[in-house]
Amino acid sequence: MRFAHAAGGRSRFRYALERRGVLAALLISPAVLFIGVLVGVPLVLAVYLSFTDATAGSLTGKWVGFDNFSNALHDQVFRDALWHTFLFTVISQAIVIVVAGLLAHALVRSFRGRWLIRFVILLPWAAPIALTAIGFLWFYDPQASIFTWILEHLHLTSKENPPNWLGTPRAAMSSIITVQAWRTVPFATVIFLAGLSSIPQEVDDAAAMDGATGLRKFWHVSLPLQLPIALVAVLFGIVFTATDMVVPYILTNGGPFNSTQVLTTWAFQTGINAGNIGEGAAIALFMLPLLAIVVIGMLFFARRAEVT
Amino acid sequence: MGQSNDGSAPSSNRLTRRELLKKAGAGAVAVGVAGAAAPYSFAGPLRYKGRYLKGDLSIIQWVHFVPAYDVWFDKTWCTEWGQKNDVQVNVEHINNTLLDTRAAAEVAAQSGHDLFFNLHPMASYEDQVINHASIVHEIEAKVGKYGDLGRLSTYNPKTKKYFAVSDNYVPDPVIWRHDLWNDVGESPATWDHVRKAAPKLKANGHPIGIGQSQEVDSNMALMAFLMCFGGFIQDEHNRPTLYSKHTVEAVQFMTDIYKRGEDSAIFGWNPASNNNYLYAGTASMILNAISATRTPESLNLPFSDNLWIWPIPAGPNGRLGLEHVMGCYNIWKFAKNKENAEKFLADLCINYKAATTASQLYNFPSFPGAFPFPAIRKAAAADTHKPHGKYTILTTIAQRYTHNIGYPGTTNAAMDEVFSKYLIPQMFARVAQGKATPTESVRDTMSVVKGIYAKWRKRGKI
Amino acid sequence: MGAALKHKLFSYAVAVPLAVLLGFPFFWMAVTSLKPEYQVYDPTKVWHFHPTFASYGFLFHHTAYLRWLRNSCLVGLAVVVITLVVAMPAGYALARLAGRAGRTMGVAIFLTYLVPPTLLFLPLSRVVAQYLHLSDRLWALIVVYPSFTIPFAIWLLMGFFKTIPQELEDAALIDGCSRLGALVRIVFPISLPGILTVVIFTFSLVVNEFVYAITFISSSANRTVPVGVPTDLIRGDLYNWPGIMAAILIPSIPLALVYNAFLNRFIAGFTGGAFR
Repeated sequence: MRFAHAAGGRSRFRYALERRGVLAALLISPAVLFIGVLVGVPLVLAVYLSFTDATAGSLTGKWVGFDNFSNALHDQVFRDALWHTFLFTVISQAIVIVVAGLLAHALVRSFRGRWLIRFVILLPWAAPIALTAIGFLWFYDPQASIFTWILEHLHLTSKENPPNWLGTPRAAMSSIITVQAWRTVPFATVIFLAGLSSIPQEVDDAAAMDGATGLRKFWHVSLPLQLPIALVAVLFGIVFTATDMVVPYILTNGGPFNSTQVLTTWAFQTGINAGNIGEGAAIALFMLPLLAIVVIGMLFFARRAEVT
Repeated sequence: MGQSNDGSAPSSNRLTRRELLKKAGAGAVAVGVAGAAAPYSFAGPLRYKGRYLKGDLSIIQWVHFVPAYDVWFDKTWCTEWGQKNDVQVNVEHINNTLLDTRAAAEVAAQSGHDLFFNLHPMASYEDQVINHASIVHEIEAKVGKYGDLGRLSTYNPKTKKYFAVSDNYVPDPVIWRHDLWNDVGESPATWDHVRKAAPKLKANGHPIGIGQSQEVDSNMALMAFLMCFGGFIQDEHNRPTLYSKHTVEAVQFMTDIYKRGEDSAIFGWNPASNNNYLYAGTASMILNAISATRTPESLNLPFSDNLWIWPIPAGPNGRLGLEHVMGCYNIWKFAKNKENAEKFLADLCINYKAATTASQLYNFPSFPGAFPFPAIRKAAAADTHKPHGKYTILTTIAQRYTHNIGYPGTTNAAMDEVFSKYLIPQMFARVAQGKATPTESVRDTMSVVKGIYAKWRKRGKI
Repeated sequence: MGAALKHKLFSYAVAVPLAVLLGFPFFWMAVTSLKPEYQVYDPTKVWHFHPTFASYGFLFHHTAYLRWLRNSCLVGLAVVVITLVVAMPAGYALARLAGRAGRTMGVAIFLTYLVPPTLLFLPLSRVVAQYLHLSDRLWALIVVYPSFTIPFAIWLLMGFFKTIPQELEDAALIDGCSRLGALVRIVFPISLPGILTVVIFTFSLVVNEFVYAITFISSSANRTVPVGVPTDLIRGDLYNWPGIMAAILIPSIPLALVYNAFLNRFIAGFTGGAFR
C-alpha cells in the first residue's frame, strides 16, 4: 500500500511509458522535429516557389499557377532531361545491383587478401564525390586521358581517333553512368554483405541438408531472405542517383548540347545560373511524385515477398 | 593566395583588430601623417585615430587566376584602405563557378556579404541590389567617364538603374602558335585565313581549338564569332535578332572549320580544356585571355615564346570581340555596411592602376581614366617575355575590338539567361555534329531565345 | 572441400578484377599526385617523370587543407553522434512499437529524400541565416546534415532491430524490466553492428556533401574539404591536377581503412563470429 502510494506519480508516468503508443511517439519525436523543420519547411517553401515567378534567389514572387509546370512539359530540353534522368538512374543502378551482388557473394567468405580487396572496393565510397568527379575530369581529359592511353596501348583504338569520352552524346552518357555506378557499388556491396551475413547459419545448414546448392540455393533461399535489405540498397541507390547532380554537373554540365542534362542539373541551371527560381523549383519538384510512385511500388512489392 | 582576413566570431574580430593596431603601430602613424603623400588618393578624409576600427565591410570575390593579385588585394589594398577609413575589411575568395550559387543563397537568406563580386554582370538580380548610380558618378568625377563596355554591361535603360559596377574586364585575344602557323605559311588575320589554314594545321597534328561545349569559353568565343559575321543575339533596343542569314552563314562557317581543322574533343570541354589543349602543345590556336600565355611562361613550356597574341580574326562584318570575363561588384539591398561598400568600390575603381599592375595586366579598368591606354601600353611594352611587346596588342584589343555581351544592346537578364543556358554553343554544336542543318538550328534556338525575352519583358526588366 | 574450393575460386575470379576496376582511378590519382605540375600535360611524360611530393607540400603549407580536414572530421563526428541519438530510439519505435502506423511513417520518413538538395538549399539558407543565426558557422552544417542522415539511419536501424528476436525483449519484460529499460539494456548493446553501420553511412554522407557546405559556409577557415579544395586548387582555368589528386587521396585512404575495420566487426558481430 505504502509502496504504491509513494510511487504514485512516478508510476503513472512509468505506466504511460509502457504504453506502446506513447513510448513510440516520444522516441520518434526528435527525428520528426529535425525532419519537419529542416526538410518539411523548405519543401513547403519550394512547392510555393514552384507556383510563382520568383527570380534571382528571391523567396517570393507573383503567383502564376501551373505555368511553370506546363512550360516545363512543353520544353524539349525538359522532356529530354526527364528521359536522361531515367536512363541515368536505371542503367547505373542496374550495373550497381549486379556488381554489388556478385561482390557481396565473393566477399562473404574469408580468403587470403580479402581485407585488401575490401579496402580497395571501399575507396570510391570513402572519397568525397565532389572531388572525385573533378578527378574524373582529368581521367576523361581529351588530351591526357589515362583510359585512352590504356586503350591505345592495347591497340583497341587508334591515336588519330581517340574516344571522345565527354564530347559525344552517347559517350558522355556512358561516362557519367560509369562514374555514378563506380561510386555507388561500394555502398550497395556493404548493404548486400549485411544481408548475406544476416542469413542465420541454420538456414544454410538446412539448405545444405536439403541438397540445395549454388544457383538453386541462391534463388530459393538466399535471394528471398536478402530481399528486404537488398531492396533498401536498390531504393536508396535509385533515390540518391535521381536526386544527385554532382556527377553530371561536374563532368559534362549537361552537355554536349543538353544530351546529358538530367532533371537536377537542368533545375540548377534554370533556377540558379539563369535566375528563374520558380521554374527551377518546378523542375526539381517534378521528380517527387514520380519517385514517390517508384518507392511506394517497390516497398509494396517487397512487403509481398518478405520472409519474416 | 586566397586567404581571407577571418573575422567570423565577434571575439576573434576584436583580436584581429588589436593585432592590426599592434602591427600597424608606427607604420600607421606614418601613414596618417603622410596621408597626402600616400600612393592612393581616397575619396574622403583620413579618420584613423589609433583605436579599434569602427566599421565593417565584408567582400566576396573569386580566386584570381593571378595569385599575386589576391595577395595585393588582401594584404596591401584592403589593409591600407581599412586603416585609412577606419573599417575592418574581410575578404573571402571562392571558386568562380560557385559564385552564382552563393549569390542565390545570400539573397534567399537575405543576409550575406556587403560587396558581392561576380565574373559576369548579374542582371537578373537587379531587384535585390541598390542603385549604384551614385558610385558611378563619384568615380566619374575623379577619373573620367565610365567606359562604354562597362556601362552597357551594368546599366538597365528600362529601369534606369545601375545594377552593378564593373571594376575591370579582361580582353579576349586569340592565342596562336606562331611556329606552327609559319609551317603552313598562314596567320589568323581573318576567319577566312583560319578556315584555309585549318586542314593543313590539323594534318600536321595541330588542330584549331575553339570549343563548342557548355562552358564559358565556348560561349564567349562563339558569340564573338557570330558578331564578326554580323549575327547578333539582340539589337540596340534589346530585341532578339538571332535568326538572320548572317547567323546561319556563321554557323555554317564554323562547321566548316570544325570539319576541316578541329578535333571532336571540342564538344566535351570545360573552361580549362582549351588551355590544356594549348599547354600540351597540340592546339595551334585558341581564344582565351592571357592566362593561356602566362601559364606556359610560368611553367617554362618549350613553346611559350612562340605564343603570339592577336585580336580576334576579322569576319565579313569586321573585327568584333567580347571581353573574356568582366568583374562586377554589386551591393545587396540588405547589406549591412552599404556606405563602406560604396566608398570601397569607388576608391578601388579610382585607384585601379595598382590593380591592373598587380594582376599582370590581366584586369583592365572599366573606367579607363584610372589607367589610360597609352600608360598600359607602356607597361605592357616593358614585359620581357618574347616576342618583345607581345602584350601591347591588348590595349588595341581593349580599345577597338572589345564589346559587351549583348552588343549592340545592353547586358540584361534575358541575355544572361541565354548565356547561362549555353544556347549559342548548343546552336553551333548541333550543326557541327550533323544533328541539324544551320537554318534549323538557328531557327530553333531563336524560338527559345524569343521565349526567354518575352518572359523577362513581362517581368518589366527589358 | 570441393564446394569450399569452388567458392574460393569464385571469390577470386570476381573480386580481384572488380577491385582492379574500382581501385584503378585511385592508383592513377596517386601517380598523378607525384608528378611535377608542368609535366602533367606532357604526353611524353605519362609514366617517365621525376616523382616529387611538391603537391603534398603545397597542400599542407600553402592552403588551409589541414584546417578543412579538421572541419570535415568535426562535422562528421558531431553529425554521427546526433544521428545515433535521434535515430536509434526512432528506429526502435518504428520497428517494434508502432505497428501499422510505424510502417507508414517509415515510408514517409523515406520520402524526405525525394526532394533534391539542389533547390532545397535556397529556403534552407533563409532558415539557417534568419531563424537559426548560424551563417558561416560549422554549426550550421552540424544542425542541417542530420536532416538527411537521420532518415537513412532510421531505415537501417529498423532493419536491424527487426532481426533481433522478440523473445529477448519479452524475456526482459517478464523479468520486470520496463520497455524503456529493455530498449537501453538489451536491444542497444546487441545492435552494435547496426550502430557501426550507421556510423559508416552517416560519415560517408557527410563527407560527400557539397551543396549545403557551399551555401552556409563562406570563410576559408570554416570550409570543409569538398568546398575548400576546388577553391584553392582551381584558379580560374588552371587546375592543379597533382594537388587535386593528392587532396582526394589524403582523406580517402584513412576513411576506407576505418570503414574496412568497422565492416569486419559488424559482420563478425552479426553472425556470432564463427564460421565466415
